Amino acid sequence: MDRAAPLSGIHRRLRLATAIGALLVLLGTHMVSTTGRADAAPGVNAIRVAEFPADCTYSHRLPDDPIIFPGLPGASHMHSFFGSTVTNAHTTLPDLVNSPTTCNPRTDVSSYWVPTLYNNNVPVEPAISTFYYLGEGVRADVVAATQPLPQGLRIVAGNAKATGPDESIARWSCLHAGQVPPSKNFVTCPAGTMLESYLDFPQCWNGRDLDSPDHKSHMAYPVNQACPATHPVHVPKLRQVLRYPVNGNPAQFRLASGPGYTMHGDFFNAWPVAEMARRVQDCIRPVIKCGHDGRPI
Amino acid sequence: MRALVAAPPTLLIAVLLVAGCAAGSPNATGTTAPSATAVAPPSAVPATGTAGPFSPTDIAWLQLTVAMAERVLPVLDLVPARTTDPVLRGLAAQVQATHRADLDRSRRLLAEAGAPATNPHEGHDMPGMVTAEELAALRAADGKPFDRLVAQHLRAHLEQAVRIAAAEQRGGVQPATTALAAAVVRGGTANLARLDRLDAPRAAGRRAGQAA
Repeated sequence: MDRAAPLSGIHRRLRLATAIGALLVLLGTHMVSTTGRADAAPGVNAIRVAEFPADCTYSHRLPDDPIIFPGLPGASHMHSFFGSTVTNAHTTLPDLVNSPTTCNPRTDVSSYWVPTLYNNNVPVEPAISTFYYLGEGVRADVVAATQPLPQGLRIVAGNAKATGPDESIARWSCLHAGQVPPSKNFVTCPAGTMLESYLDFPQCWNGRDLDSPDHKSHMAYPVNQACPATHPVHVPKLRQVLRYPVNGNPAQFRLASGPGYTMHGDFFNAWPVAEMARRVQDCIRPVIKCGHDGRPI
Repeated sequence: MRALVAAPPTLLIAVLLVAGCAAGSPNATGTTAPSATAVAPPSAVPATGTAGPFSPTDIAWLQLTVAMAERVLPVLDLVPARTTDPVLRGLAAQVQATHRADLDRSRRLLAEAGAPATNPHEGHDMPGMVTAEELAALRAADGKPFDRLVAQHLRAHLEQAVRIAAAEQRGGVQPATTALAAAVVRGGTANLARLDRLDAPRAAGRRAGQAA
């Protein structure tokens, strides 16, 4: 447009005024719907949500866990793996970096895994499995200072050992049936809807360790909308959303780890460093909703 | 694109372990530079507070051995009062003694490694582990049904214990830990053979273990 045929001064001024007017209208619209920061100067059509997604379909099942039981095949309850197609008990970062993946975008070769869901002892895999990377749950200035998830970082979320709903952060609900209240255990979803599981991973890193002996203490959840001093580095919050093609009475549902409240997730980050950094810079810090390609929607 | 670590991971791990988990290549992203521990290859998380050469596999196996022993001992405790079969009683007593000793050694090794004795996945429905419901069913049973159930659980436990101890023997590095694993494989295999000789029907034995 700037390189179009020369215009007269009046025309140019008119076009400029029109463009500014349109910009203001659009900005106004978005300001109403969000609490976004005007100084972030997102694109005209940006949606003010700090987010980029990876949709990674089911890949394979193994009774393995390369974070909790590295080198010990068969040591775990059954897990369903998403993302990298090669993950097993022996998997390390170099294995992932060169692996095929089920993710959209293909650049995400990370590995994600959860306890397998069984219905009447038959495994059920999610029809939709989305891993959102979000800047939320902390103050705007903390979001603006988000650091990329370091390559090789391992995070576990949820409580596989939960002996009751009170010990769990799992959340079960129904896709397209918002009237069903979410629960920490399985819920009864109406016919035609899907059982869904939400799980948020901790987003505050100690800035030092890619894993820890208990696999948890190098990460923490925010406190009072900020990262605690022990875990000062704010990284994108991973939100795992799984939609299972089952509904109705959950009496015959179980996870490989036990009841619904034992839902947990494991994440082994293998995003290329530059791709992760670009998404944090272009989507999370400026609070812009991005698509699978990491560009504003 | 940045260059990726090209050396075989096992070599790197070995080097890091020998070097007491000294630095690797920089892996910093963003403004916060991870320390040497953070740049270690993923399977070489050092045990904190110790210079002992425990690998993550060693620690995971020790934690699992603790968890499995803690789960099977209450089952074995039930045996003397509920069975009339002297062979089963003798086998249970022997497995019990071995597991108490293994539990003790595992806990001491974990303490030496500076690692927590608990494992984030130890609780529910792990292969080879008796669940709370199964334990309740055992407490409610006696006579032949009890004998059958105990033999079945013991078999599932021993098979899993031998499977993962064999993996530790292959993949572990800390000498006392791999030696313990070797002893678990030997003892477990011998006890499985004794179980085979028991009258308890083998066919009824196997739990649907893998899916659990």
